[in-house]
Amino acid sequence: MEAVSVENLIKLYRGGIRAVDGISFAIIEREIFGFLGPNGAGKSTTIKCIIGLLRPTAGNIRILGVDVEKDPGVTKRHIGYAAQETAVDDQLTGWENLYLQGRFYHLPREEIRHRGEEVLRLFGLWERRKDPAQTYSGGMLKRLDIACALIHRPKILFLDEPTLGLDVQTRKAIWDYIRALRKEHEMTIFLTTHYMEEADELSDRVAIIDRGKILALDKPGALKATLGGDLITLKFASGEERVAALLSAIRAWPGVRDLRSSPDGIHWIWVDQRGDRFIPELVQLALEHGVVIDSVRLKRPTLDDVYLHYTGREIREAEASREEHYRARILQRRVRR
Amino acid sequence: MIFADAIYVARRELLKFFRAKTRILVTVIQPLIWLGLMGNMMQGFTQNPFVANLLGTESYLAFMTPGIILMNVLFGGVFSGMSIVWDRRIGYLEKLLAAPVSRAAIPLGKMFAAAIQGGFQGLLILLIARALGVRFASGFPGALFALVVAMVFSLILSGFSLTIASRIKSQETLMAVVNFFTMPLMFTSNALFPREAMPAWLATIAHINPVTHAVTPIRQVLLFGWNWSSMWVSFLVIGGLALGMMFLAGRSFLRATVE
Repeated sequence: MEAVSVENLIKLYRGGIRAVDGISFAIIEREIFGFLGPNGAGKSTTIKCIIGLLRPTAGNIRILGVDVEKDPGVTKRHIGYAAQETAVDDQLTGWENLYLQGRFYHLPREEIRHRGEEVLRLFGLWERRKDPAQTYSGGMLKRLDIACALIHRPKILFLDEPTLGLDVQTRKAIWDYIRALRKEHEMTIFLTTHYMEEADELSDRVAIIDRGKILALDKPGALKATLGGDLITLKFASGEERVAALLSAIRAWPGVRDLRSSPDGIHWIWVDQRGDRFIPELVQLALEHGVVIDSVRLKRPTLDDVYLHYTGREIREAEASREEHYRARILQRRVRR
Repeated sequence: MIFADAIYVARRELLKFFRAKTRILVTVIQPLIWLGLMGNMMQGFTQNPFVANLLGTESYLAFMTPGIILMNVLFGGVFSGMSIVWDRRIGYLEKLLAAPVSRAAIPLGKMFAAAIQGGFQGLLILLIARALGVRFASGFPGALFALVVAMVFSLILSGFSLTIASRIKSQETLMAVVNFFTMPLMFTSNALFPREAMPAWLATIAHINPVTHAVTPIRQVLLFGWNWSSMWVSFLVIGGLALGMMFLAGRSFLRATVE
């Protein structure tokens, strides 16, 4: 079954701003689905429509087959949500935050105790559970926030910009937790981000969203492959007379798109994808032909390249027009208050 | 389910309230200053038999004790609305709305918490007044009744500030709007000044002012003893207003989104 299905979702804000402009997508169970786009692209608005915090202007949203607008009481129990802002009450202890959250999901006391210990241990917060949350670091707060979202064993976890404003080590740690959740707890995870590496690193599939529209949706590898694949740069040390035979053998290989050579002996090979797997075979082939390789270099397109390809602008919108800045500001003000 | 949800919303507020030692300390010191300073200052004034007749007692301290309890509740009511604005800002409100919590339970829980806080502060004020020499005409049951009235009145005020806070997004605006109502409510009531001594137009306002209806039964029971015939109207008025506010505040959150 599809964990989440969104059909023709439109969200208009007062003032006529189209935050989400007719998007459709489906999230498969147990996948990590990444929503990548700049600030004000409509990421948070989409999440908030799905989890019932915002009323869609038009469109149909289903969670595990249940209509979100018709039966919010049912769908809410399947959903865990950690917002962009870390919504932890810092005057309460970690445990109190978690306990109240459990109560808000109508869990019995015993179950909260049991499950609470489980999630706090998973996120490495068990030892600090009795400390007020205001003594926690930014990373700990984020972990506590995600732990709270997991107290009722949701089937689908929504993470809105889970690593925004965290340092590199903490971000890596959060990534590990997210992966563990999917692997060990078979959870479906929807995450939004404007960090390329994050979408690339974590997601099974990525949707690129900009100005309220989905521009591309596929596996990160496939998205990168659409940009002409990996580029291998090759130089030979010896065996000049046998190079021609080797090159034509390479050219005949499946997956090789193009091969060009410069007069001073540099060769460029474009392959569809997985250039890293291609290199060992290339070395083997060269040996068979009696050619010695001097150097090999691999350049793979990053999700950055894909992003730029689709949106035609830097993610930081350095050159965005005044109108776009305005739009982004309005959206952010609406969504993060 | 709505009451179970409201209990945990209230529990969160109370955990924080009883942890905020400074806030509790201030709520003790403030009435101490009011009663100790103002009460004593006015004492000479109440030596005048005419004034004593107007007040119904020779002790201004005793006269103003109910007023101070309600003033505390009145100005404390704004905190409920503030806490919603704050919850909205830190994203906690979103978290609550995303959970299967009954939406009306959010304001109701905050109202219950405000009532318990108001009752607790009222108790402190009564103890201070007792220590300063005020004697209560109907003893412990009367004091308990006075606290119940203060708690019911607290529901009105917190409900009011929550209803407004469901529309207003900034703390400054909320503060201004709520104070716009509470200050005149306080000073057009009989909390600190007897209605008998007011000019006719002010006495008319005081007569319909809900603060007066909260003060009257408390003052009756603390100063003069049980007398239902002079209390039941006021008690019904504030009870009815409290129910109305619970309904209004609950309703204002029913269709709340984060937009």
